[in-house]
Amino acid sequence: MTIDWSTLALEAINVAVLMALLGHFFWKPVAALLDERKTAIAHDLADAAAKRSAAETALAAVATERAGIQKEREGVLAKAVADGERERSLRVDKAKDEIEILRAASEAAVAKEKLDVTKALNDKAAALAIAIATRLLNGLDARVLKSPFLDGLAKQIKSLSPSERQSLAGQPLKLSAATELTPDQEQECLRAIEDALGTRPDLSFAFNPDLIAGFALESPNVVVGNSWRHDLDRIRSELAHE
Amino acid sequence: MKSPLTLEVLFHIGPLPITEPVLVTWIIMALLTVGAWLSTRRLSFQPSRLQAFLELIVETVDGQIRDTMQVEPGPYRAFIGTLFLFIFVANWSELIPGVEPPTAHIETDAALALLVFVAVIYFGVRASGLKGYLATFASPTPLMIPLNFVESLTRTFSLLVRLFGNVMSGVFVIGIVLSLAGLLVPIPLMALDLLTGAVQAYIFAVLAMVFIAGALSEGKPREKEHERPTA
Repeated sequence: MTIDWSTLALEAINVAVLMALLGHFFWKPVAALLDERKTAIAHDLADAAAKRSAAETALAAVATERAGIQKEREGVLAKAVADGERERSLRVDKAKDEIEILRAASEAAVAKEKLDVTKALNDKAAALAIAIATRLLNGLDARVLKSPFLDGLAKQIKSLSPSERQSLAGQPLKLSAATELTPDQEQECLRAIEDALGTRPDLSFAFNPDLIAGFALESPNVVVGNSWRHDLDRIRSELAHE
Repeated sequence: MKSPLTLEVLFHIGPLPITEPVLVTWIIMALLTVGAWLSTRRLSFQPSRLQAFLELIVETVDGQIRDTMQVEPGPYRAFIGTLFLFIFVANWSELIPGVEPPTAHIETDAALALLVFVAVIYFGVRASGLKGYLATFASPTPLMIPLNFVESLTRTFSLLVRLFGNVMSGVFVIGIVLSLAGLLVPIPLMALDLLTGAVQAYIFAVLAMVFIAGALSEGKPREKEHERPTA
């Protein structure tokens, strides 16, 4: 057995060349692809982990937001309840006020109506009293009545202030009587007024049955009366004020 | 029957005689190179069946290098992987009628063993430097220098003899049985020879890794001895 050294050298070169060729065409590209795939997988895993972490963070944020929404909802509901309660209270108070106003107005209307009724009754009573008094006086002697009324008129003239009496004296006066006066009665009245004024007045006479009984001395500025008409009017006014 | 112990010169290129193992090796080289080029032209992240098979080969070789040498496979992948592929394809080339495996001739096996011998030196010097690599021969004591040197030669020789003996004997046996018994009788022996060829390719590659790993590890300081606490 011999060794062919040229074949040995050629085979060594052949295998070395084959190593270089396969290294270039097979081992290197496949290994590079494997490394690239491993890198890509690692990158994808890291990316997936990052996305998962981000998703978990987002989930936690959503949960927090939901909790906030729940809390906000409860707050809104509580506020709505409080607003509703306050509104209800305000409306109840307002209704109470309106009821109070209406009640007061009703009471005022009732009182006014009552007052009006009372006044009307008083007026009717006064009118009735006047009618009764008039009927009673028609049955009395007019002369009996004249003297007290004339004295009362004189007293009233005397109770006036001097300036008022002086004003009455300087002006034309009209003496109204409830009955027709005779000339003697007119003279009697003239003397009584002259005594009260202290001077002779410019006096005229008139018949006024509305006076019922008594006299009324009238000047352009002053009216002095002593008659039942005046008394009844005063009484009616006092009743009305009561 | 041709003897694997003799070489037949097929033709000459200039003064250089081209024998049958060289020609078969060229054919194997061409097939492997063209096949590799064709199959790796369109690599993609979503592999086809062929690409998955290629990736399986690369990952298996990488795994063997990691397990055996305890290093990253990058610098050694092409050398170890090509050794395995070439021996495997060469051993199985006997399936083709009329083709005698190149590894059945001692020149091819010697070339492979020579490449391993050179590779051990290359990777050892690259890892530890020339001085560091030479210092490995003096480990554990300078008295071991002759023995270590002889060991580096004998283990290379053992690579050569083991591969040559197994493949050549298989070819011999099949040839003898074929000439004595008939056409179909040697088929079980051929199947056994295929298994032997695959195992021998694997053993050759693993032993190459062990030798290279030995050169790499012997050049490194022994960490455990340095870490041992002093009394």
